Amino acid sequence: MQQIIDFIIRKKDVVVYLILLLFSLLLIINSNYFHKSKILLFSNSITNYTFDKFSFYNEYFELKKINSSLIDENLFLKSRLEKVSNNNNIDSLKNVIFKYKNAKVISNNLSSFKNHLIINKGADDGLKNEMGIINSTGIVGIINRTSKNYSSVMSILNIETKINAKVKRTSHFGTLEWDGLSNSYLLLNDISETADIKVGDSIITGGMSLIFPEGINIGVVSEVINKNKHNDSLLRLNTNNGKYLDIEFRENYLNIEVKLHTNMNNLNNVYVIESLNREEFKNISK
Amino acid sequence: MASVYFLVLKRFIIFILLQGLIFNNFDFFGSFDPYIALVFILTFPIKINKITFLIASFCFGICLDLFSNSLGLNTAACLTAAFSRSYILSFVFGSFFDPLGLKLIKNYISNSSFSQKFLYLASIILIHHFVLFSLEAFSFEFFSLIIYKTFLTSLLTLTFCTTTIYIMIKNEK
Repeated sequence: MQQIIDFIIRKKDVVVYLILLLFSLLLIINSNYFHKSKILLFSNSITNYTFDKFSFYNEYFELKKINSSLIDENLFLKSRLEKVSNNNNIDSLKNVIFKYKNAKVISNNLSSFKNHLIINKGADDGLKNEMGIINSTGIVGIINRTSKNYSSVMSILNIETKINAKVKRTSHFGTLEWDGLSNSYLLLNDISETADIKVGDSIITGGMSLIFPEGINIGVVSEVINKNKHNDSLLRLNTNNGKYLDIEFRENYLNIEVKLHTNMNNLNNVYVIESLNREEFKNISK
Repeated sequence: MASVYFLVLKRFIIFILLQGLIFNNFDFFGSFDPYIALVFILTFPIKINKITFLIASFCFGICLDLFSNSLGLNTAACLTAAFSRSYILSFVFGSFFDPLGLKLIKNYISNSSFSQKFLYLASIILIHHFVLFSLEAFSFEFFSLIIYKTFLTSLLTLTFCTTTIYIMIKNEK
């Protein structure tokens, strides 16, 4: 210990130099966006590589589950195919708005407020920002950053994600958000108080943003809370001349809790949705 | 001793303003700015101890960065130039160098041969520019570009710094 202190005192200008240099490097990395993203990309490429290798072995333990879910999906697709082949369209190309690509989840995070997934396809496979990700049971998230071979996906369990959704039975539109607590429930906001929503109603994607096609399953309503039914929104003021003035605070929106179909703990095969008309849609909605 | 600190403070302000307001906008041949602010580090009094010198050049770099909107880049470069100065002084001037600081930096520059002056100025300027540009590029992909820019800017800085130091010594006499 004595020797270490002696060494530090003897070389004190080197120590001061190194401390100040470290401080200035921290300044560079924290205040310049370019340097920050460079460091992030570098560290991401290392961790992604290890995740990729690790998930290769991990897959074997999940093969049975994956198989059964693939069979289910096959059955569903076959039933869809029959419906489609019954009403043939002459110009079949014109109806293709969305293209699907498959990808694999190599890392999945559920513990923070802003959860991200990493999938094993990136810009080289034609993936871009703001593409939707689904799996066979429901929606998973939206791509927010792509590197050469990997993409980072903003999970639906991220407090910044907002997804346009609607109630299948009544066609009321709302916004899906996560409250940051349970990983199988989301909140559906912005649905007006007058809507007749019941527990058990299906929630599907609304198709307003061209990130997700319309009608992908999200979940079912598990609880509808109408805040106005409680009496605590009433406030009684005593005015000067012995009369009372009742003030009622009303919230015009319902709080709807949605139970997800997707099991976010166990994601493996996912599909990336590429919207072919997105550029056109963006240009016209500017 | 107090007058030395006052002198340092005066140079600090003058060179920050010169660099930030005038020389950052020179743009020779497109994008080459002479870093005349290095005169502050080149002529920093040897009398003041090394740790104060390091802290002073750190603050100097931060102030430069505030003007050029690149927080941390100039700081690291100035810090490294300041750190390497005492080694370069003893290397270039050999037995003439005394670390106690009885001789002024003026004596080194006026009582030495041309090659010694050139080596002293050029090596510190090269170190500063190399650190600055490699941190700015932040990748070895552009190594040849970093070297190219370092040499050209160093030439420019060397001309301007030599002139400035010459004028400073002339005025003190």
